[in-house]
Amino acid sequence: MDRYQYLLLMGACAAGTLPLEWAFRARVYRRPLRLLRALSLPFVVFVLWDAAAIARENWSFSPRYTTGWLALFDVPVEELVFFVVIPICALLSYESVKWLRERRGGVN
Amino acid sequence: MPEYTVAAFAAAALVVVVDLRVWRTGLFRSPVYWTAIGICLFFMVLVNGWLTKLSAPIVLYDPDQKTPWRFPFDIPIEDYAFGFALLHWVLARWVRFAEK
Repeated sequence: MDRYQYLLLMGACAAGTLPLEWAFRARVYRRPLRLLRALSLPFVVFVLWDAAAIARENWSFSPRYTTGWLALFDVPVEELVFFVVIPICALLSYESVKWLRERRGGVN
Repeated sequence: MPEYTVAAFAAAALVVVVDLRVWRTGLFRSPVYWTAIGICLFFMVLVNGWLTKLSAPIVLYDPDQKTPWRFPFDIPIEDYAFGFALLHWVLARWVRFAEK
């Protein structure tokens, strides 16, 4: 199971923030087109940055805690998941806080 | 110059400058934004702390390409700049692409 550690951590982040979609009316997953637009360019740029950093050996990934599945440019699949899941967590937080403040009649 | 240090802080500075000059999202004046960033920071410390803990690291860094500073739980300080650049950029796009 060790090799799925990074992937499971990302799964926990996605699962842990998922209730925000309904509990605080975040409506992030329910606006898929806007979500896709928000994520797309940062995803491409950060994956390229990751690829360059891996090629230049600025950082590397533990073979013990990753699956070893590589995407383009030797970027681990876990990293691709990271650049989707983590920004979604941030958007869910932002929209949840926004909904809570609006409900209380506050300004954003 | 350590490459990761330079790249991470340059990226963070770039999103701030581009937002202030070009996108003008107003996020930096928004209490909602800062509250969300605070929440993200808290959870980032937990997740990033797990990824970079020196006792069983998932991500390993070339010590020559970063500063020796790690805080807390062995988190490289560069990771905060990297994370901020990623999250601010995505949040800025999310706000800019709101349905009118």
